[in-house]
Amino acid sequence: MSTPNDAPPRIGVDEWVARSGERRDRGSGPSAAIVRALERVGWWQRLAVIAAIVALFPLLTSSDYAVRVGVNTLLLATLALGLNVVVGWTGLLDLGYVAFYGFGAYGFALLSSNQLGSSGIHLPSLLAIVIVVVAAALLGLLLGLPSRRLQGDYLAIVTLFFGQIFVETVTNVAPKVTGGPNGVVGIDPLNFFGLEVTTTRGYFYVLLIVTVVIMGALHLIDSSRTGRGWRAVREDPLAAALMTIPVNKVKLLAFSVGAAVAALAGTIFAAFQAGAYPTDFDTPFLILVYAGVILGGSGSIAGAVLGATVVSVTLELLRNPSQAATLFYGLILLTLVVRVRPWRKLGAVLAALVAFGFAVHAVIGAISASAVAGHPRSGGWVGDALGSWVVVPADPKGPGNIAFVVLILGLVALVQLKGTARTVLLVPLLYLAAFVWETRLVAEASITRQILLGAILIVMMNARPQGLLGSKRVEVL
Amino acid sequence: MNARDPRSHGRRWAAAAASATLLAFGLAACGSSSGNSGSGSQTSANAGSQTGASTGSSGGKACTAAIGIEAPITGQVAQLGGEQLHFTQFALDQYNQKNGTSFSLVQGDTQLTPAQATTVTQQFISNDKIMAIVGPAGSQEVSAIGPLASRANLAMISGSATAAALTDGGKYPTFFRVVPRDAVQAANDADYIIKTLRPKQVMIVDDQSSYSTGLAAAVEPLLKQAGIQVDHESVNQKQTDFSSVVSKITPETGVVFLPWQVATSSQQFGQNLSEQGKKAVIFATDGSYSPGQFRSPGAYVSSFAPDITAIPEDADLARQIKARYGSFGTYGPPYYASAIVAADAIDAVCRSGQTPTRANVLAQVRKTSAATSILGQPIRFDAKGDLVDAKFSIFKVGPDGRYSAVPSA
Amino acid sequence: MTFFLQQVVDGLTTGSVYALIALGYSMVYGVLKLLNFAHGDIYMVGAFIGYFVLQAFGGATALVAPVAVVLIAMFAAAALGAGLLGVGIERFAYRPLRESPRIAPLITALGVSFFLENAVLLLFGSETRLYSTSSFIPFSTGVHVAGVNISLVRILVVVLAAVLMVGLRVLVERTRLGKAMRAVAFDREAAEMMGIQVDRTISATFFIGSALAGVAGVMAGLVFDQVFSLMGFIAGLKAFTAAVVGGIGNVPGAMLGGLLIGLAESFATGYISSTFQNLIVFGILIGVMLLRPNGLLGRATLQKV
Repeated sequence: MSTPNDAPPRIGVDEWVARSGERRDRGSGPSAAIVRALERVGWWQRLAVIAAIVALFPLLTSSDYAVRVGVNTLLLATLALGLNVVVGWTGLLDLGYVAFYGFGAYGFALLSSNQLGSSGIHLPSLLAIVIVVVAAALLGLLLGLPSRRLQGDYLAIVTLFFGQIFVETVTNVAPKVTGGPNGVVGIDPLNFFGLEVTTTRGYFYVLLIVTVVIMGALHLIDSSRTGRGWRAVREDPLAAALMTIPVNKVKLLAFSVGAAVAALAGTIFAAFQAGAYPTDFDTPFLILVYAGVILGGSGSIAGAVLGATVVSVTLELLRNPSQAATLFYGLILLTLVVRVRPWRKLGAVLAALVAFGFAVHAVIGAISASAVAGHPRSGGWVGDALGSWVVVPADPKGPGNIAFVVLILGLVALVQLKGTARTVLLVPLLYLAAFVWETRLVAEASITRQILLGAILIVMMNARPQGLLGSKRVEVL
Repeated sequence: MNARDPRSHGRRWAAAAASATLLAFGLAACGSSSGNSGSGSQTSANAGSQTGASTGSSGGKACTAAIGIEAPITGQVAQLGGEQLHFTQFALDQYNQKNGTSFSLVQGDTQLTPAQATTVTQQFISNDKIMAIVGPAGSQEVSAIGPLASRANLAMISGSATAAALTDGGKYPTFFRVVPRDAVQAANDADYIIKTLRPKQVMIVDDQSSYSTGLAAAVEPLLKQAGIQVDHESVNQKQTDFSSVVSKITPETGVVFLPWQVATSSQQFGQNLSEQGKKAVIFATDGSYSPGQFRSPGAYVSSFAPDITAIPEDADLARQIKARYGSFGTYGPPYYASAIVAADAIDAVCRSGQTPTRANVLAQVRKTSAATSILGQPIRFDAKGDLVDAKFSIFKVGPDGRYSAVPSA
Repeated sequence: MTFFLQQVVDGLTTGSVYALIALGYSMVYGVLKLLNFAHGDIYMVGAFIGYFVLQAFGGATALVAPVAVVLIAMFAAAALGAGLLGVGIERFAYRPLRESPRIAPLITALGVSFFLENAVLLLFGSETRLYSTSSFIPFSTGVHVAGVNISLVRILVVVLAAVLMVGLRVLVERTRLGKAMRAVAFDREAAEMMGIQVDRTISATFFIGSALAGVAGVMAGLVFDQVFSLMGFIAGLKAFTAAVVGGIGNVPGAMLGGLLIGLAESFATGYISSTFQNLIVFGILIGVMLLRPNGLLGRATLQKV
């Protein structure tokens, strides 16, 4: 607030005005024509085209793993759509959301396995799903009840308790019914009128249909009176009440719809995994769903799906060290290209970086042979290309750790600096980043995956606080 | 953040471009993940050691394959998974060095959740270099990935999934474990408590994990049959203070049975006991078998494996691992054994002149017959995949924290 | 009676640790209206700093300096390190988002939390470190009266927590900085117009809040012995709960909330059932929230229209 660059106070600016600048910007960008052309295509047509493209995906790959990632992505997208109703549209911070996902999974599990009774219960899938989803919607109403009295973070904490209570209940309360920590196993596959869905591809299409239908339904609701009511309650409950919107009912409805969507995803997940286990529905997973919604743009249907896709696909890419390396170096390059202007400067930085690397390698190699004895841990061409450029000591753990800490401190310093000093500092920092990657991060692939997820969340939110497809809006506090 | 701020324009495009690239990467990578499995998608287990042969370039017809590990490398029980990962890495490094093979290790972090375990397993299946899985760590993960792995003929050799149900009825024909099932340990422990310690009352505290509740449920009826009064408590695994549970221990409670996964938590329980001056004796299970971490004097620990730091043949190995990765507990050595089983099987296939495939590696794992192992006992599997002749020993923790075996009841 | 007192002692120690973490949570929330989910991880870093200071003094069994000196060094280093970390996080991850919708910094906070947890895992490995407090502060040094055993460490923790809480109260109520903090919390823009340096005040708030978390980390290490990279996750959730139950943004409320949760936990285990401990505690807290929708000490805010 103290620097002149910062936004002036924008009291009294409403959403439409806040977005006017954004709208004006669109007309001047390099690809404005494309953007405008895209905008002329109707929402439904866009949905149909994208759905059709996504439907081709399993046909283009022979890998069951890729399709499974697709299934996981669609599950996360469905969950994000439901959460978007509660958080994005109605503005209720629901931290117990993932419990409904679990409720759906366990509900379906109990109705379609040998778990209960002597020979188990095996309802037709459609019936089981309907029962579970309706029950979840009712449970959502129940959880929504405190929202009549509680606001904001006080509501958040009660819903958080609810989420924890769910996990505790299925783990401890009746191990005979829910299987305790071992969960429910041997769940029937989905079965629609004799047609069993047993393949990963089958589940992909079931989920694709579910996701598209939910997107369509939510789009209709969004532009209906209910949808406007949700957003009105989010912006200002008091004003909404004065406009004769039944605030409490509208909130309860949001909880209920969110819960039903989550439970629906849960039923399909349980059938897909053929099992329901308590640890799958704990807080860490909730965090991913939130990340999807907010990264995509809170309040946007397409944003929720895109955000979930980004989160899910990124996490899978990072599993594989060579893809993670491509992502790591690719994102650094991309950031440089976008942020370092003019082109002259960018060229200078890159040239300096290359020269700096060879110089460091030569100097350190001359001082101690063992300090450059290692080989970059990235496999394939990346490792070979970096072989004589990046220093890799024979025992890289200690130096790599120190460099990691220095790198973070350097990044913090980089943000504080301005002008030439910043550009100059950039060169050694980039080199340090490569050093840390090749010595430590690639070797600890699983830990790196989590570190990068954290870094990506921080950077993306800083780059675009309203989310990828979100719209700017001003909060009335 | 002003909409008219020229910077926001660039940022928007930056974000859009970044996400578009990310998605493009994603589709390309996922779409081709079965194809690129050879192109450096594995970190070589031996890339760090100078002596290890560099991947794929060792002369002659080096036996080349990948082994996947499924363990909770990050997340709430990272202390378990980290150890499992390190011992597996170390085992393969050594094996490669000794036998001139070139086995690489692919990490699969499951965070002990079945959902992630299934995705990881599917990834392993679509990577045609992977011949066997070391792991997974949790029993619930085994039941989640069992069907997938059996369809792919992929052997999974766990060093920590002990639930008895896993090998009942041959549900998962590709599942093996180098650790005995719950039932064996429960009978053994209950026997010792009843015949040797002879308490009037026993407090059983489970930690709400699959491992713990299974073991607790198996021991409880045995103690009750012997006329011992049992108080069954339970704590959350994430809990760090047990004073309130400890304060419920009565003077009649002779033994506290702690089938816990985390050795340092058992240590804390012991601290809480002495803090409150309670006299009950801790009887912990293999989850707490960790001389560096659980050293409550006078406690008993049952374990299927002896202290590897105390076995002369293993002492050197233990020292090297400690130097490279820091102190360790009970979860590493069985993973070392699992990794060796997998490596031996692949090597045997190679030596018979065949190219390793999942099916012949699986057949070879089934035939495993190692006269000795890091666990101090021979490793052979029965038809269900259980360890044959699983031996159990009970150790007493001395005043200096040293473990010494006690004669069984 | 001894059983009851034992439960009180246990509850107070855990509660004090929760309360100290909750204080920082609450302070940050007060000035920024931000749920700083990375706060628990700052606590974890504090515990690690304390551990390494302890090692630097020769380790638990072979201390080269008097115990009091070591303890002071541990607390001071952890407070300083955690405080600086907090300031850095605010500058780097939260300040650019100050004018955006509230939900955006929530995600950066989660990102910071992931980052810290796993950076520590990368640097220090997955093994659980032990303070082994009883080697240098033996249990026998505590109070042992009529069957109630209170170790010196627990007394130390409770007393130190109480002192810090009183100190913080004085700071917020009596000093210029406290006044600035309250002004920023009340209305940031108006405060700036009155000449209060908002950025500096927010940094100071982060420093103090994070330093308290660092101290709490060392306390946790001393009482509960175990230090590992994910210890902050659960502690953070508990502290968040404590802060909200007490009335978020309200300093005495956070203390009260922390102590309430600590006591509820120990009594639930002691008197009802250890298995259902969490269920009982959550049940109690939901009850509290429904009876006092703005937390124990929170006041219903008047809505500005």
